[in-house]
Amino acid sequence: MSEYKKPLPEIQPYSQPFWDGTRENKLLVQHCNACDTNIFYPRRDCPECWSQDLGWIEASGRAIVYTYSVTYEGVEEKFVEDLPIILAWIDLPEGIRMHTNLVECEPEDVRIGMEVEVVYRPVTEEITLPFFRPVSTS
Amino acid sequence: MTKSGLAVVGIAEVPTRRDPERTRWDILLDVCMGAINDAGIDKNLIGAVISNNPMAQPSMQNDMSLGKIPEVMGLKGCRDIAICNAGGASTTNCLRLAEQHIASGQVDFVLIPHTTVQSDMPPQDLINFFATAPLDKQFEYPYGVSFNGSMGLITQRYMYETGATEEELASVTVALRAWGALDPLSIFYGKTVTLEDVMNSRMISTPLKAKECNLLADGGGAMVVTSWEKAKAFGDKAVYKLGHGTRFMSATPMLREDVFHRQSYRESSQDALAQAGLSIHDMDLRQIYGAYPYTQCSALEGYGVCEDGQGAKLWAEGRCGPGGDLPCTTMGDATGRGHTGSGVSMAFYLDTIRQLRGEAGERQVKNCEHAILTTSGGSVMNTCTTVFGRAPR
Repeated sequence: MSEYKKPLPEIQPYSQPFWDGTRENKLLVQHCNACDTNIFYPRRDCPECWSQDLGWIEASGRAIVYTYSVTYEGVEEKFVEDLPIILAWIDLPEGIRMHTNLVECEPEDVRIGMEVEVVYRPVTEEITLPFFRPVSTS
Repeated sequence: MTKSGLAVVGIAEVPTRRDPERTRWDILLDVCMGAINDAGIDKNLIGAVISNNPMAQPSMQNDMSLGKIPEVMGLKGCRDIAICNAGGASTTNCLRLAEQHIASGQVDFVLIPHTTVQSDMPPQDLINFFATAPLDKQFEYPYGVSFNGSMGLITQRYMYETGATEEELASVTVALRAWGALDPLSIFYGKTVTLEDVMNSRMISTPLKAKECNLLADGGGAMVVTSWEKAKAFGDKAVYKLGHGTRFMSATPMLREDVFHRQSYRESSQDALAQAGLSIHDMDLRQIYGAYPYTQCSALEGYGVCEDGQGAKLWAEGRCGPGGDLPCTTMGDATGRGHTGSGVSMAFYLDTIRQLRGEAGERQVKNCEHAILTTSGGSVMNTCTTVFGRAPR
Protein backbone atom coordinates (compact mmCIF):
# COMPACT_ATOMS: atom_id res chain seq x y z
CA MET A 1 0.00 0.00 0.00
CA SER A 2 3.03 2.29 0.24
CA GLU A 3 2.85 2.50 -3.57
CA TYR A 4 -0.01 5.03 -3.49
CA LYS A 5 1.07 7.85 -5.81
CA LYS A 6 -1.96 10.11 -5.75
CA PRO A 7 -2.23 13.11 -3.44
CA LEU A 8 -3.18 12.37 0.14
CA PRO A 9 -5.38 14.75 2.10
CA GLU A 10 -3.46 17.51 3.88
CA ILE A 11 -4.57 16.73 7.41
CA GLN A 12 -4.73 19.35 10.18
CA PRO A 13 -4.66 18.57 13.91
CA TYR A 14 -8.37 19.34 14.19
CA SER A 15 -9.33 17.14 11.24
CA GLN A 16 -7.32 14.13 12.45
CA PRO A 17 -10.35 12.48 14.13
CA PHE A 18 -12.16 12.47 10.75
CA TRP A 19 -9.35 10.40 9.24
CA ASP A 20 -9.04 8.21 12.36
CA GLY A 21 -12.76 7.58 11.83
CA THR A 22 -12.56 6.56 8.19
CA ARG A 23 -9.75 4.14 9.10
CA GLU A 24 -12.22 2.47 11.44
CA ASN A 25 -14.93 2.61 8.77
CA LYS A 26 -16.83 5.39 10.48
CA LEU A 27 -17.90 8.65 8.82
CA LEU A 28 -17.54 11.32 11.49
CA VAL A 29 -18.96 14.82 11.26
CA GLN A 30 -17.59 17.57 13.45
CA HIS A 31 -20.23 18.93 15.82
CA CYS A 32 -20.33 22.11 17.91
CA ASN A 33 -21.49 21.29 21.43
CA ALA A 34 -22.15 24.97 22.13
CA CYS A 35 -24.48 25.87 19.23
CA ASP A 36 -25.38 22.41 17.92
CA THR A 37 -24.05 23.01 14.39
CA ASN A 38 -22.65 20.24 12.23
CA ILE A 39 -19.42 21.47 10.61
CA PHE A 40 -17.74 20.48 7.35
CA TYR A 41 -14.86 20.63 6.70
CA PRO A 42 -13.45 20.32 10.23
CA ARG A 43 -12.12 23.54 11.82
CA ARG A 44 -10.32 24.54 14.97
CA ASP A 45 -13.20 26.80 15.99
CA CYS A 46 -16.90 26.59 15.21
CA PRO A 47 -17.46 28.96 12.26
CA GLU A 48 -20.91 29.85 13.63
CA CYS A 49 -20.11 30.74 17.27
CA TRP A 50 -16.30 30.39 17.60
CA SER A 51 -16.67 27.84 20.38
CA GLN A 52 -13.81 25.39 20.73
CA ASP A 53 -16.09 22.87 22.45
CA LEU A 54 -16.23 20.68 19.36
CA GLY A 55 -16.98 16.97 19.19
CA TRP A 56 -17.89 14.39 16.57
CA ILE A 57 -21.06 12.56 15.61
CA GLU A 58 -21.19 9.45 13.49
CA ALA A 59 -23.03 9.98 10.20
CA SER A 60 -25.45 7.43 8.81
CA GLY A 61 -23.24 7.02 5.76
CA ARG A 62 -26.16 7.63 3.40
CA ALA A 63 -26.34 10.67 1.12
CA ILE A 64 -28.08 12.13 -1.93
CA VAL A 65 -26.23 13.15 -5.10
CA TYR A 66 -26.52 16.96 -5.41
CA THR A 67 -24.52 17.05 -8.65
CA TYR A 68 -21.89 15.06 -10.51
CA SER A 69 -19.42 15.37 -13.36
CA VAL A 70 -17.66 12.60 -15.23
CA THR A 71 -14.07 13.55 -16.00
CA TYR A 72 -12.56 11.96 -19.10
CA GLU A 73 -9.36 13.98 -19.40
CA GLY A 74 -7.46 16.98 -18.12
CA VAL A 75 -6.24 15.52 -14.82
CA GLU A 76 -2.71 15.16 -13.50
CA GLU A 77 -0.79 12.12 -14.76
CA LYS A 78 -1.19 10.33 -11.43
CA PHE A 79 -4.99 10.25 -11.86
CA VAL A 80 -5.01 9.13 -15.50
CA GLU A 81 -5.28 5.42 -14.63
CA ASP A 82 -8.58 6.16 -12.82
CA LEU A 83 -10.30 7.81 -15.80
CA PRO A 84 -13.17 8.23 -16.22
CA ILE A 85 -13.55 9.66 -12.71
CA ILE A 86 -17.06 10.36 -11.44
CA LEU A 87 -16.85 13.50 -9.31
CA ALA A 88 -19.84 14.25 -7.10
CA TRP A 89 -21.11 16.59 -4.45
CA ILE A 90 -23.30 14.68 -2.04
CA ASP A 91 -25.70 15.93 0.62
CA LEU A 92 -25.68 14.10 3.94
CA PRO A 93 -28.81 14.03 6.10
CA GLU A 94 -26.57 15.50 8.80
CA GLY A 95 -26.78 18.76 6.85
CA ILE A 96 -23.38 18.87 5.20
CA ARG A 97 -22.20 18.65 1.59
CA MET A 98 -19.09 16.67 0.69
CA HIS A 99 -17.02 16.29 -2.46
CA THR A 100 -16.35 12.64 -3.37
CA ASN A 101 -16.07 10.10 -6.17
CA LEU A 102 -18.90 7.75 -7.01
CA VAL A 103 -17.64 4.19 -7.38
CA GLU A 104 -19.03 0.75 -8.23
CA CYS A 105 -21.26 2.24 -10.94
CA GLU A 106 -21.09 3.33 -14.56
CA PRO A 107 -21.15 7.01 -15.52
CA GLU A 108 -24.41 6.58 -17.43
CA ASP A 109 -26.15 5.22 -14.32
CA VAL A 110 -25.55 8.35 -12.22
CA ARG A 111 -28.41 10.76 -11.63
CA ILE A 112 -28.83 13.90 -9.53
CA GLY A 113 -30.97 12.93 -6.55
CA MET A 114 -29.91 9.29 -6.43
CA GLU A 115 -29.22 7.72 -3.04
CA VAL A 116 -25.65 6.67 -2.28
CA GLU A 117 -23.81 5.11 0.64
CA VAL A 118 -20.27 5.37 1.92
CA VAL A 119 -17.65 2.80 1.03
CA TYR A 120 -14.19 2.90 2.59
CA ARG A 121 -11.00 2.36 0.63
CA PRO A 122 -7.71 2.24 2.52
CA VAL A 123 -5.03 3.85 0.33
CA THR A 124 -2.14 3.85 2.85
CA GLU A 125 -1.79 2.48 6.36
CA GLU A 126 -2.86 5.83 7.78
CA ILE A 127 -5.34 7.06 5.24
CA THR A 128 -8.68 5.57 4.27
CA LEU A 129 -10.62 7.68 1.77
CA PRO A 130 -14.42 7.63 1.90
CA PHE A 131 -16.07 7.08 -1.48
CA PHE A 132 -19.76 6.61 -2.25
CA ARG A 133 -21.68 4.05 -4.30
CA PRO A 134 -25.31 3.77 -5.33
CA VAL A 135 -27.54 2.17 -2.72
CA SER A 136 -28.57 -1.19 -4.06
CA THR A 137 -32.24 -1.18 -4.96
CA SER A 138 -32.51 -4.94 -5.36
CA MET B 1 -21.79 67.37 -2.33
CA THR B 2 -19.50 66.98 -5.32
CA LYS B 3 -18.88 63.38 -6.17
CA SER B 4 -15.46 62.25 -7.29
CA GLY B 5 -13.86 59.02 -8.25
CA LEU B 6 -11.50 57.14 -10.46
CA ALA B 7 -11.03 57.48 -14.21
CA VAL B 8 -8.93 55.48 -16.65
CA VAL B 9 -6.94 57.69 -19.04
CA GLY B 10 -4.37 55.34 -20.58
CA ILE B 11 -4.43 51.71 -21.67
CA ALA B 12 -2.23 49.22 -23.50
CA GLU B 13 -2.37 45.49 -24.11
CA VAL B 14 -0.38 42.86 -26.00
CA PRO B 15 -2.16 40.22 -28.10
CA THR B 16 -3.09 37.08 -26.19
CA ARG B 17 -1.13 34.15 -27.56
CA ARG B 18 1.13 31.25 -26.65
CA ASP B 19 4.66 32.44 -27.30
CA PRO B 20 7.43 31.44 -24.89
CA GLU B 21 9.84 33.71 -26.80
CA ARG B 22 7.94 36.74 -25.51
CA THR B 23 9.18 37.10 -21.93
CA ARG B 24 7.23 38.26 -18.89
CA TRP B 25 9.36 41.41 -18.69
CA ASP B 26 8.97 42.13 -22.42
CA ILE B 27 5.21 42.09 -21.98
CA LEU B 28 5.38 44.10 -18.78
CA LEU B 29 7.54 46.88 -20.19
CA ASP B 30 5.56 47.07 -23.44
CA VAL B 31 2.23 47.47 -21.66
CA CYS B 32 3.51 49.87 -18.98
CA MET B 33 5.15 52.16 -21.51
CA GLY B 34 2.18 51.73 -23.84
CA ALA B 35 -0.35 52.82 -21.22
CA ILE B 36 1.71 55.85 -20.16
CA ASN B 37 2.20 56.83 -23.82
CA ASP B 38 -1.52 56.32 -24.49
CA ALA B 39 -2.30 58.71 -21.63
CA GLY B 40 0.29 61.06 -23.07
CA ILE B 41 1.79 61.96 -19.71
CA ASP B 42 5.40 62.16 -18.54
CA LYS B 43 6.55 58.91 -16.94
CA ASN B 44 7.59 60.74 -13.80
CA LEU B 45 4.00 61.74 -13.10
CA ILE B 46 3.23 58.13 -12.12
CA GLY B 47 2.93 58.35 -8.33
CA ALA B 48 2.29 54.67 -7.59
CA VAL B 49 2.45 51.26 -9.24
CA ILE B 50 -0.23 48.82 -8.11
CA SER B 51 0.38 45.47 -9.79
CA ASN B 52 -1.87 42.55 -10.59
CA ASN B 53 -0.20 39.54 -9.00
CA PRO B 54 0.88 36.83 -11.48
CA MET B 55 -0.18 34.08 -9.11
CA ALA B 56 1.33 31.03 -10.79
CA GLN B 57 4.70 32.71 -11.38
CA PRO B 58 6.61 33.15 -8.11
CA SER B 59 9.77 34.82 -9.47
CA MET B 60 7.70 37.45 -11.27
CA GLN B 61 5.62 37.93 -8.12
CA ASN B 62 8.80 38.75 -6.23
CA ASP B 63 9.99 41.21 -8.87
CA MET B 64 6.65 42.99 -8.95
CA SER B 65 6.07 42.90 -5.18
CA LEU B 66 9.50 44.22 -4.32
CA GLY B 67 9.75 47.27 -6.49
CA LYS B 68 11.43 46.30 -9.75
CA ILE B 69 8.90 48.04 -12.03
CA PRO B 70 9.50 51.70 -11.05
CA GLU B 71 13.23 51.00 -10.75
CA VAL B 72 13.63 49.39 -14.18
CA MET B 73 11.42 51.99 -15.86
CA GLY B 74 12.93 54.96 -14.06
CA LEU B 75 9.63 56.19 -12.65
CA LYS B 76 11.20 58.94 -10.58
CA GLY B 77 7.92 60.25 -9.18
CA CYS B 78 6.81 56.87 -7.81
CA ARG B 79 6.04 57.14 -4.08
CA ASP B 80 4.56 53.73 -3.45
CA ILE B 81 4.19 50.24 -4.85
CA ALA B 82 1.85 47.41 -3.96
CA ILE B 83 0.60 44.15 -5.42
CA CYS B 84 -2.91 42.76 -5.23
CA ASN B 85 -3.81 39.11 -5.34
CA ALA B 86 -7.38 37.96 -5.58
CA GLY B 87 -6.78 35.44 -8.38
CA GLY B 88 -8.89 36.43 -11.36
CA ALA B 89 -10.24 39.45 -9.52
CA SER B 90 -6.79 40.92 -8.81
CA THR B 91 -7.19 43.86 -11.20
CA THR B 92 -10.38 44.85 -9.39
CA ASN B 93 -8.46 45.18 -6.16
CA CYS B 94 -5.69 47.11 -7.93
CA LEU B 95 -8.32 49.64 -9.02
CA ARG B 96 -9.69 49.90 -5.50
CA LEU B 97 -6.28 50.44 -3.96
CA ALA B 98 -5.42 52.97 -6.67
CA GLU B 99 -8.65 54.77 -5.83
CA GLN B 100 -7.41 55.30 -2.27
CA HIS B 101 -4.16 56.82 -3.50
CA ILE B 102 -6.05 59.13 -5.86
CA ALA B 103 -8.59 60.10 -3.19
CA SER B 104 -5.78 61.00 -0.77
CA GLY B 105 -4.75 63.75 -3.16
CA GLN B 106 -1.13 62.73 -2.67
CA VAL B 107 -0.87 60.83 -5.95
CA ASP B 108 -2.21 62.03 -9.31
CA PHE B 109 -1.58 59.03 -11.57
CA VAL B 110 -1.37 55.31 -10.76
CA LEU B 111 -0.02 52.65 -13.10
CA ILE B 112 -1.74 49.23 -12.93
CA PRO B 113 0.11 46.52 -14.88
CA HIS B 114 -0.29 42.80 -15.47
CA THR B 115 1.86 40.17 -17.22
CA THR B 116 1.47 36.40 -17.54
CA VAL B 117 3.38 33.77 -19.53
CA GLN B 118 2.03 30.24 -19.18
CA SER B 119 3.29 28.75 -22.47
CA ASP B 120 6.70 27.95 -20.97
CA MET B 121 5.21 26.04 -18.03
CA PRO B 122 4.69 22.22 -18.19
CA PRO B 123 0.96 21.43 -18.70
CA GLN B 124 1.02 19.08 -15.70
CA ASP B 125 2.20 21.94 -13.45
CA LEU B 126 -0.62 24.16 -14.70
CA ILE B 127 -3.25 21.45 -14.12
CA ASN B 128 -1.82 21.00 -10.62
CA PHE B 129 -1.88 24.74 -9.96
CA PHE B 130 -5.51 25.15 -10.99
CA ALA B 131 -6.50 21.99 -9.05
CA THR B 132 -4.83 23.04 -5.80
CA ALA B 133 -4.73 26.84 -5.53
CA PRO B 134 -8.50 27.47 -5.63
CA LEU B 135 -9.71 24.06 -4.38
CA ASP B 136 -9.52 22.28 -1.01
CA LYS B 137 -6.38 20.16 -0.61
CA GLN B 138 -7.89 17.92 2.03
CA PHE B 139 -11.41 17.21 0.87
CA GLU B 140 -11.41 17.94 -2.89
CA TYR B 141 -7.97 17.47 -4.42
CA PRO B 142 -7.45 13.78 -3.38
CA TYR B 143 -10.51 12.89 -5.49
CA GLY B 144 -8.98 13.75 -8.85
CA VAL B 145 -10.81 17.02 -9.30
CA SER B 146 -9.48 19.49 -11.84
CA PHE B 147 -10.68 23.06 -12.23
CA ASN B 148 -12.72 21.92 -15.23
CA GLY B 149 -14.19 19.12 -13.09
CA SER B 150 -15.21 21.56 -10.40
CA MET B 151 -16.95 23.79 -12.93
CA GLY B 152 -18.50 20.72 -14.60
CA LEU B 153 -20.17 19.89 -11.27
CA ILE B 154 -21.76 23.34 -11.10
CA THR B 155 -22.76 23.30 -14.78
CA GLN B 156 -24.50 19.93 -14.39
CA ARG B 157 -26.56 21.26 -11.50
CA TYR B 158 -27.31 24.47 -13.42
CA MET B 159 -28.77 22.41 -16.28
CA TYR B 160 -30.75 20.27 -13.83
CA GLU B 161 -32.33 23.26 -12.08
CA THR B 162 -32.96 25.51 -15.08
CA GLY B 163 -33.64 23.00 -17.84
CA ALA B 164 -30.93 24.64 -19.97
CA THR B 165 -29.74 22.17 -22.60
CA GLU B 166 -26.19 21.30 -23.64
CA GLU B 167 -26.90 22.95 -27.00
CA GLU B 168 -28.05 26.18 -25.34
CA LEU B 169 -24.91 26.26 -23.21
CA ALA B 170 -22.77 25.45 -26.26
CA SER B 171 -24.30 28.51 -27.95
CA VAL B 172 -22.57 30.65 -25.30
CA THR B 173 -19.19 29.44 -26.52
CA VAL B 174 -20.20 29.96 -30.16
CA ALA B 175 -21.02 33.61 -29.34
CA LEU B 176 -17.90 34.17 -27.22
CA ARG B 177 -15.75 32.78 -30.02
CA ALA B 178 -17.59 34.98 -32.50
CA TRP B 179 -16.55 38.02 -30.45
CA GLY B 180 -13.01 36.63 -30.18
CA ALA B 181 -12.86 36.04 -33.93
CA LEU B 182 -13.38 39.79 -34.44
CA ASP B 183 -10.74 40.80 -31.90
CA PRO B 184 -7.08 41.10 -32.99
CA LEU B 185 -6.07 40.72 -29.31
CA SER B 186 -7.76 37.31 -29.01
CA ILE B 187 -5.86 34.06 -29.46
CA PHE B 188 -8.88 33.03 -31.56
CA TYR B 189 -8.81 36.05 -33.91
CA GLY B 190 -10.41 34.98 -37.18
CA LYS B 191 -11.40 31.58 -35.75
CA THR B 192 -15.12 31.12 -35.21
CA VAL B 193 -16.69 27.82 -34.13
CA THR B 194 -20.09 26.36 -34.95
CA LEU B 195 -22.52 24.75 -32.55
CA GLU B 196 -21.51 21.39 -34.03
CA ASP B 197 -17.81 22.15 -33.42
CA VAL B 198 -18.53 22.77 -29.74
CA MET B 199 -20.91 19.82 -29.32
CA ASN B 200 -18.54 17.43 -31.11
CA SER B 201 -15.39 18.51 -29.27
CA ARG B 202 -13.88 16.05 -26.80
CA MET B 203 -15.72 15.55 -23.52
CA ILE B 204 -13.52 16.83 -20.68
CA SER B 205 -15.71 16.85 -17.53
CA THR B 206 -19.41 16.37 -18.24
CA PRO B 207 -21.16 18.39 -19.46
CA LEU B 208 -18.12 20.54 -20.38
CA LYS B 209 -16.50 19.85 -23.72
CA ALA B 210 -13.01 20.84 -24.84
CA LYS B 211 -14.13 24.01 -26.63
CA GLU B 212 -16.00 25.13 -23.50
CA CYS B 213 -12.85 24.87 -21.37
CA ASN B 214 -10.03 27.39 -21.29
CA LEU B 215 -6.89 27.52 -23.37
CA LEU B 216 -4.11 28.79 -21.10
CA ALA B 217 -2.17 31.55 -22.82
CA ASP B 218 0.18 34.51 -22.34
CA GLY B 219 -0.80 38.12 -22.20
CA GLY B 220 -0.59 41.40 -20.40
CA GLY B 221 -2.08 44.82 -20.13
CA ALA B 222 -1.85 48.05 -18.19
CA MET B 223 -3.93 51.05 -17.24
CA VAL B 224 -3.12 54.56 -16.07
CA VAL B 225 -5.76 55.92 -13.71
CA THR B 226 -6.38 59.32 -12.19
CA SER B 227 -9.13 61.37 -10.55
CA TRP B 228 -12.33 62.52 -12.27
CA GLU B 229 -11.11 66.10 -12.01
CA LYS B 230 -7.75 65.45 -13.69
CA ALA B 231 -9.40 63.14 -16.26
CA LYS B 232 -11.39 66.02 -17.76
CA ALA B 233 -8.24 67.21 -19.53
CA PHE B 234 -8.02 63.87 -21.34
CA GLY B 235 -11.31 64.36 -23.22
CA ASP B 236 -12.74 61.26 -24.91
CA LYS B 237 -9.83 59.14 -23.73
CA ALA B 238 -11.12 59.20 -20.17
CA VAL B 239 -13.51 56.51 -18.95
CA TYR B 240 -15.12 56.96 -15.56
CA LYS B 241 -15.70 54.41 -12.81
CA LEU B 242 -19.20 55.20 -11.58
CA GLY B 243 -20.00 52.51 -9.06
CA HIS B 244 -18.82 49.27 -7.53
CA GLY B 245 -20.17 46.39 -5.45
CA THR B 246 -18.66 43.10 -4.32
CA ARG B 247 -19.99 39.95 -2.69
CA PHE B 248 -17.85 37.15 -1.27
CA MET B 249 -19.30 33.64 -1.21
CA SER B 250 -16.79 30.92 -0.31
CA ALA B 251 -13.28 29.76 -1.07
CA THR B 252 -14.32 26.15 -1.58
CA PRO B 253 -16.86 25.37 -4.32
CA MET B 254 -18.66 22.56 -2.45
CA LEU B 255 -19.47 24.92 0.44
CA ARG B 256 -21.12 27.57 -1.74
CA GLU B 257 -24.84 27.93 -0.99
CA ASP B 258 -25.21 30.42 -3.88
CA VAL B 259 -23.95 27.72 -6.20
CA PHE B 260 -24.45 29.62 -9.48
CA HIS B 261 -23.44 32.98 -7.85
CA ARG B 262 -26.79 34.37 -8.98
CA GLN B 263 -27.55 36.12 -5.70
CA SER B 264 -24.00 37.41 -5.54
CA TYR B 265 -24.29 38.84 -9.07
CA ARG B 266 -27.65 40.35 -8.07
CA GLU B 267 -26.46 42.08 -4.91
CA SER B 268 -23.09 43.26 -6.23
CA SER B 269 -24.69 44.69 -9.38
CA GLN B 270 -27.42 46.41 -7.37
CA ASP B 271 -24.78 48.05 -5.16
CA ALA B 272 -22.73 49.16 -8.16
CA LEU B 273 -25.76 50.49 -10.06
CA ALA B 274 -27.11 52.30 -7.00
CA GLN B 275 -23.79 54.04 -6.51
CA ALA B 276 -23.80 55.02 -10.18
CA GLY B 277 -27.42 56.17 -10.00
CA LEU B 278 -28.27 53.96 -12.98
CA SER B 279 -30.38 50.88 -13.72
CA ILE B 280 -29.36 47.64 -15.41
CA HIS B 281 -31.50 48.78 -18.36
CA ASP B 282 -29.19 51.80 -18.79
CA MET B 283 -26.29 49.48 -19.54
CA ASP B 284 -25.25 49.23 -23.19
CA LEU B 285 -22.78 46.41 -22.55
CA ARG B 286 -22.54 43.59 -20.01
CA GLN B 287 -19.05 42.11 -19.51
CA ILE B 288 -18.99 38.90 -17.48
CA TYR B 289 -15.75 37.23 -16.41
CA GLY B 290 -16.74 33.78 -15.22
CA ALA B 291 -14.50 31.68 -17.47
CA TYR B 292 -17.18 28.98 -17.89
CA PRO B 293 -20.40 29.22 -19.93
CA TYR B 294 -22.91 28.85 -17.08
CA THR B 295 -21.62 32.10 -15.55
CA GLN B 296 -22.58 34.00 -18.72
CA CYS B 297 -26.14 32.81 -18.05
CA SER B 298 -26.46 33.08 -14.27
CA ALA B 299 -24.94 36.58 -14.31
CA LEU B 300 -27.65 37.83 -16.68
CA GLU B 301 -30.22 36.31 -14.30
CA GLY B 302 -28.57 37.94 -11.29
CA TYR B 303 -28.30 41.31 -13.04
CA GLY B 304 -32.04 41.17 -13.68
CA VAL B 305 -31.70 41.13 -17.48
CA CYS B 306 -33.93 38.03 -17.52
CA GLU B 307 -35.77 35.69 -15.14
CA ASP B 308 -33.80 33.12 -13.17
CA GLY B 309 -33.07 30.11 -15.35
CA GLN B 310 -33.58 31.96 -18.66
CA GLY B 311 -29.99 33.15 -19.25
CA ALA B 312 -28.97 30.34 -21.60
CA LYS B 313 -31.98 31.05 -23.83
CA LEU B 314 -30.78 34.62 -24.45
CA TRP B 315 -27.47 33.27 -25.72
CA ALA B 316 -29.14 30.53 -27.77
CA GLU B 317 -31.37 33.16 -29.41
CA GLY B 318 -28.25 35.05 -30.51
CA ARG B 319 -29.10 38.15 -28.50
CA CYS B 320 -25.78 38.38 -26.61
CA GLY B 321 -23.31 37.83 -29.45
CA PRO B 322 -22.29 40.06 -32.38
CA GLY B 323 -25.36 41.77 -33.87
CA GLY B 324 -27.56 40.93 -30.87
CA ASP B 325 -29.67 43.47 -28.99
CA LEU B 326 -28.05 42.60 -25.61
CA PRO B 327 -24.32 42.56 -26.35
CA CYS B 328 -22.48 40.68 -23.61
CA THR B 329 -18.84 39.89 -23.00
CA THR B 330 -17.38 41.41 -26.15
CA MET B 331 -14.03 40.57 -24.59
CA GLY B 332 -14.84 36.90 -25.34
CA ASP B 333 -14.20 35.72 -21.75
CA ALA B 334 -11.34 33.28 -21.18
CA THR B 335 -13.14 30.79 -23.46
CA GLY B 336 -13.10 33.13 -26.45
CA ARG B 337 -9.92 35.08 -25.71
CA GLY B 338 -7.42 32.68 -24.08
CA HIS B 339 -6.93 32.42 -20.30
CA THR B 340 -4.09 34.60 -19.02
CA GLY B 341 -4.33 33.63 -15.35
CA SER B 342 -5.04 36.57 -13.08
CA GLY B 343 -4.82 38.78 -16.17
CA VAL B 344 -8.22 37.87 -17.58
CA SER B 345 -9.67 40.58 -15.37
CA MET B 346 -7.19 43.13 -16.77
CA ALA B 347 -8.23 42.23 -20.32
CA PHE B 348 -11.89 42.66 -19.30
CA TYR B 349 -11.30 46.18 -17.98
CA LEU B 350 -9.28 47.15 -21.04
CA ASP B 351 -11.94 45.87 -23.43
CA THR B 352 -14.63 47.74 -21.51
CA ILE B 353 -12.61 50.95 -21.74
CA ARG B 354 -12.08 50.43 -25.48
CA GLN B 355 -15.84 49.98 -25.95
CA LEU B 356 -16.63 53.15 -24.02
CA ARG B 357 -14.00 55.08 -25.98
CA GLY B 358 -15.45 53.75 -29.24
CA GLU B 359 -12.19 51.97 -30.08
CA ALA B 360 -13.44 48.37 -30.22
CA GLY B 361 -13.20 47.99 -33.98
CA GLU B 362 -15.51 45.41 -35.50
CA ARG B 363 -16.85 44.53 -32.07
CA GLN B 364 -17.87 48.09 -31.26
CA VAL B 365 -21.20 48.31 -29.43
CA LYS B 366 -23.15 51.23 -30.95
CA ASN B 367 -23.53 54.31 -28.75
CA CYS B 368 -21.84 52.61 -25.83
CA GLU B 369 -22.34 55.05 -22.94
CA HIS B 370 -22.46 52.73 -19.93
CA ALA B 371 -21.10 49.27 -19.24
CA ILE B 372 -21.33 46.84 -16.32
CA LEU B 373 -18.49 44.42 -15.67
CA THR B 374 -18.13 41.56 -13.19
CA THR B 375 -14.87 39.81 -12.32
CA SER B 376 -14.39 36.85 -10.00
CA GLY B 377 -11.41 35.29 -8.26
CA GLY B 378 -10.38 31.79 -7.22
CA SER B 379 -13.07 29.23 -7.94
CA VAL B 380 -15.59 32.10 -8.25
CA MET B 381 -15.15 32.96 -4.59
CA ASN B 382 -16.68 36.39 -5.22
CA THR B 383 -18.34 38.66 -7.74
CA CYS B 384 -16.85 42.14 -8.14
CA THR B 385 -19.17 44.33 -10.21
CA THR B 386 -18.26 47.74 -11.57
CA VAL B 387 -20.18 50.27 -13.64
CA PHE B 388 -18.21 52.47 -16.04
CA GLY B 389 -19.36 55.38 -18.15
CA ARG B 390 -18.13 57.88 -20.74
CA ALA B 391 -18.86 60.78 -18.43
CA PRO B 392 -18.84 61.37 -14.67
CA ARG B 393 -22.25 61.65 -12.98
